[in-house]
Amino acid sequence: MRRTVALLLTGILVVGVSFAMQGCAGKDEEMEDLTAQQEMDEAGALAGEDLALHEQPDDVIYVEATSREFEDVQFDFDRYDIRPRDEATLSGIASWLNEHANVDVLIEGHCDERGTNEYNMALGEQRALAARRYLIGLGIGTARLSTISYGEERPFDHGSSESAWAANRRAHFAVSQ
Amino acid sequence: MQVLMRRTVVTALLAAAMILGAFLPAGAPEVRLSITKGFGEKVIVVVSLFEGFGGGLIEAEDVREVLSADLRNSGYFSITENLEFVDENEEDDRSSGSIDFQEWLALGGEVLVKGRLDVTPAELAIEATVYDLAQGQALFGRRYSGIPSLWREAVHRLADDIVEQLTGERGIAQTKIAFASNVTGVKQIYVMDYDGENQRRVTTEDMMCMYPDWYPDADRLVYTRFRGSRQETYSVGISTGEASKLTSYPGLNAFAAISPRGNEVLMTLSRDGNPEIYRLRGDGGEPRRLTFGRSTESSPCWSPDGRRLAFVSDRAGSPQIYVMGAGGGTAERVTYQGHYNTSPDWSPKGDLIAYTSQIDGVFQICTVDVNTKEVVRLTSGRGQKEDPSWAPDGRHLVYSLRSGGKSDLYMLDIYELEPLRLTSGAGDYLSPAWTP
Repeated sequence: MRRTVALLLTGILVVGVSFAMQGCAGKDEEMEDLTAQQEMDEAGALAGEDLALHEQPDDVIYVEATSREFEDVQFDFDRYDIRPRDEATLSGIASWLNEHANVDVLIEGHCDERGTNEYNMALGEQRALAARRYLIGLGIGTARLSTISYGEERPFDHGSSESAWAANRRAHFAVSQ
Repeated sequence: MQVLMRRTVVTALLAAAMILGAFLPAGAPEVRLSITKGFGEKVIVVVSLFEGFGGGLIEAEDVREVLSADLRNSGYFSITENLEFVDENEEDDRSSGSIDFQEWLALGGEVLVKGRLDVTPAELAIEATVYDLAQGQALFGRRYSGIPSLWREAVHRLADDIVEQLTGERGIAQTKIAFASNVTGVKQIYVMDYDGENQRRVTTEDMMCMYPDWYPDADRLVYTRFRGSRQETYSVGISTGEASKLTSYPGLNAFAAISPRGNEVLMTLSRDGNPEIYRLRGDGGEPRRLTFGRSTESSPCWSPDGRRLAFVSDRAGSPQIYVMGAGGGTAERVTYQGHYNTSPDWSPKGDLIAYTSQIDGVFQICTVDVNTKEVVRLTSGRGQKEDPSWAPDGRHLVYSLRSGGKSDLYMLDIYELEPLRLTSGAGDYLSPAWTP
């Protein structure tokens, strides 16, 4: 986990891609938060603000020059329809993909812990598929967009609060070669 | 280490097949129990301490404990618990060289099990005789032999023989339960005895493996594995360790359910752009799509005759259980209570489907009668209960219960509703599947 964090940070500084983080201010501040979060984790105190540092599936190979982290698209409980407020995020992803024609995207569907394990696996796929359909509607080729559901297996936030659940009901976009 | 582990599993299972049972010549050829019981009434069994030598490997007390638990768990028997008196009677019998049936009757028992151990480092023999106390007669006797490490297997077999001889029903003491657990960090598939003992790992992948289901020979499992950014369904032979791929389509490859005859599989795929139910040959092949629409179709299971299937669909706006012909066609909704009914499993003995239902914010285990749509709630209290799976007797269920941030497996007799916890190790125990 720590290695992933360091790696992503280097990527941000070197490549200089502007990070689309939820509700955070400057880059320096983000880094400070990150250090604080690490220390808290190690002290066992835990639970800070969310950082967009997702675990990536094993076989996704990141391309240095085109490395890009997108904002997650979120969903209401037990729903998989794209909310109007997330349409801009998806449009942004679509236009970026149009400019980087050699890049594919793996769309991961995730759920909060409250549903049953099995049904969440199906629901996660529906969320990934809904995002995929939306991107296809914006002209992205079907072959560039694959989906996988992790159900409730890989929560973004391990807490059991409304805000944790909301953050976990998501479609996450992993850029791959 | 992993190779070693697999080899141990193979050895243990091969040896398991070698526990031999033989009727003892003693006793009348065909004696019936002289008592009849109404539904729900239990036969009272006295399990005496077995005689003989355990070779320092097996304690007679352990044999009695396992046998008593098996008989109690079957649901047909209650076990006399005042062991002081039991052991006193046994001592008297041993010194007199005969069985004082009147003394045993006085303990309130109806059936008596006496036995003998003979264990050397190389070989185990367990002999047992079952008596009808009112008649003062032996009902049957049997001898089990094999290697000493398989003594539990031998006792389970004795328990199942007692159940079958006395009730005509097949016992569950020799059945197994497959499940997924993250005890090693990544979810893997494991198998254990029905009572939670003898847990062993089946998959030795470094990737997440979930949703096991059995082939009818109880020696092969199908499961979903997460290979990088793909889901795949795999099958693995337990005694051979041989694995083969069934499906690896884009999107979902999950909830594989093997048909009662073992030659076909139902599963959920999303390769056509939506989670739908598909039917395939048991070894893979081209999937045939059974459901169509924009809703989520998931978690299929077979009816015991293989002619129908149950599954979950949110076509009416919330996840509910539906039933349709195994060839597809019109589906009939069977659950109408509540707004979240998932993970159906069809009883091997009839018309009940067990499932998970959200009631007052908590997931509980229920059954619904396919014909009458009558719902019976089986669990209560806090803790999320999920994923029921029927034992082959159609009477017991295993399910997972999440409590205190951890999931464990519990067994439930649907006529008694007293859950018995089967697992307690670190980590989560999920997605149980009882052998058919």
